[in-house]
Amino acid sequence: MKTLFTVFYRRNLALAKLAIITNLQYRFNFIIDAFIQPILTVGVEVLLWLAIFKTADASGLIGGFGKDSYLAYAVWAPFLGRIAISWMYETMMVEEIASGSINTILTRPLSFFEYYLSQTLGYKIITTVFSVTVPIAVSLYFNLPVLYERLPMAFLIVVYYLLLVHTMSFLVSTLGFFLTRIRAFTLLKNLSLLLLGGELVPIDLMPPPLAELLLSLPFSAGVYIPLAYITGRGGWDLMSRGFINTSYGLLIAGILSYLLWKRGVREYTGTGA
Amino acid sequence: MQHAIQTENLGRTYKTYTKQEGLLNSLKGFYNRKYTEKVALKNASFKAESGKIVGLIGANGAGKTTLLKMLSGLIYPTTGTARVLGYEPSKRENEYLKQISILLGQKNQLWWDISPRDSYALLTKIYDLNETASKNRVMDLAHLLQCEQVLDTQLRRLSLGERMKMEIIGALLHSPKVLFLDEPTIGLDIVAQTSIRTFLEKYVKEQQPAIILTSHYMNDIAQLADQLLLISKGEIVYDGNVDHFMQTTDLKKKLIYRLKNSAEEKEIVFNSQELNQVLSDLSKTGNVVDLKVEDVDFEDVIHRFLQAESGPR
Repeated sequence: MKTLFTVFYRRNLALAKLAIITNLQYRFNFIIDAFIQPILTVGVEVLLWLAIFKTADASGLIGGFGKDSYLAYAVWAPFLGRIAISWMYETMMVEEIASGSINTILTRPLSFFEYYLSQTLGYKIITTVFSVTVPIAVSLYFNLPVLYERLPMAFLIVVYYLLLVHTMSFLVSTLGFFLTRIRAFTLLKNLSLLLLGGELVPIDLMPPPLAELLLSLPFSAGVYIPLAYITGRGGWDLMSRGFINTSYGLLIAGILSYLLWKRGVREYTGTGA
Repeated sequence: MQHAIQTENLGRTYKTYTKQEGLLNSLKGFYNRKYTEKVALKNASFKAESGKIVGLIGANGAGKTTLLKMLSGLIYPTTGTARVLGYEPSKRENEYLKQISILLGQKNQLWWDISPRDSYALLTKIYDLNETASKNRVMDLAHLLQCEQVLDTQLRRLSLGERMKMEIIGALLHSPKVLFLDEPTIGLDIVAQTSIRTFLEKYVKEQQPAIILTSHYMNDIAQLADQLLLISKGEIVYDGNVDHFMQTTDLKKKLIYRLKNSAEEKEIVFNSQELNQVLSDLSKTGNVVDLKVEDVDFEDVIHRFLQAESGPR
């Protein structure tokens, strides 16, 4: 007899496959998304850090770390950042509520949260499988200080953090029940995550009180913590802190989004149908 | 007797933001918004049985889609209650959602970027159906709708008629006991309309679902509906069958005539007993060169009804 879990698992696997099939339908878009974009972002970051190190003092260290360490950071930060952020699916979720397309989900035995979570994971898996070759190849070629044995744990925290990101996307999209246009919220949220997660500037380079504050927030678990872990800037202590912070972030975002969703569907007018 | 659908004083009020024209009013609206309440549906009470098609007719904005949305659980009622298959739709329990289907003719329910067959495979998982049975059902329905050849083409590349057939298969895949069809033939050519009508007629006979159907094509309603619900300005003004409705209407005859030096055909609709008076009045208007008297059909009556009802509220 099929258990509820089996049904749930099969359904979500099918949704994850949907994301993969859909993205593979559009080959050029996929190639740009999975290869060109990460290569360009890595290129920009590497050039930036090379320029910064030209002005470094005689020790060749910034914040206690050398050029290779920052290059490793620059190579892996955009890659992890891409996994840990959800522009495309959040935009789709927002649009779904604004346009009324959500009707097709609301009238099926399926939850909106689950529907997009599975697709986000499917999409992230397929793009990650291809795009991970870029930082690995660059790291190997330049012999950058990367602890490869730590990669699985780093991926694990990023995927866990992705749950939080998705819950936040869900939270933002539920605002669509109350406000007609909410694109600015997505932009604000993602820019904040870019800054708070340490993708733009490593958190350990920030003033100590600010660094401590950012490390106590869940957002550092998306980029900085896994990156510090694989480049040797931090160890298991930092990693476990990331898991704990993400957990409380999930709890808060989960409660807030549940309340907003409950209220939102009562307000919903089924726009466009 | 347990009805598949039962509503009691069902109503829904929408709150909308209103803004007067111009930049100044936009600025004013930034800090001082004015909202108005619009009653989309009020005191809607009716019952529908399994194996029957209910034709829902009303002018644009009369409240038809609001009623469908409430019955399918998409929106919450402001007043009253609805029970569909014994469930309260707004609770959207999975057991309920597995037994209903809603088809919105102007919206895609299947996935735009993949083929219908991929969509059906996904629906099979969502509704937890047996895979082999589901595949067979797709083939049966596709055969009935004569569209097997497009099952593997990406949805976005199909014509409107083909797409609608694919949507119908998707809506029926899990054998729903209640089906809400909102304009299923909109924009389709006459051949596709007829094919869908014939299919629905056969499907209801065989599977016995309860169907609520809205359509702007009166032929859909006249051919398919066992029960007729007329909605006007948010209220149900008639609940009965098509034949009874035609008997109760005062408009029984239609006189079509043409005056000399005019190519335009004009018409007058009247009660049978007024024929003499109508002819007498007509003879005074000018030189009639052609005339014929016909029975008013369903489409005419509804057309006149909608015309009368579509005025300002």
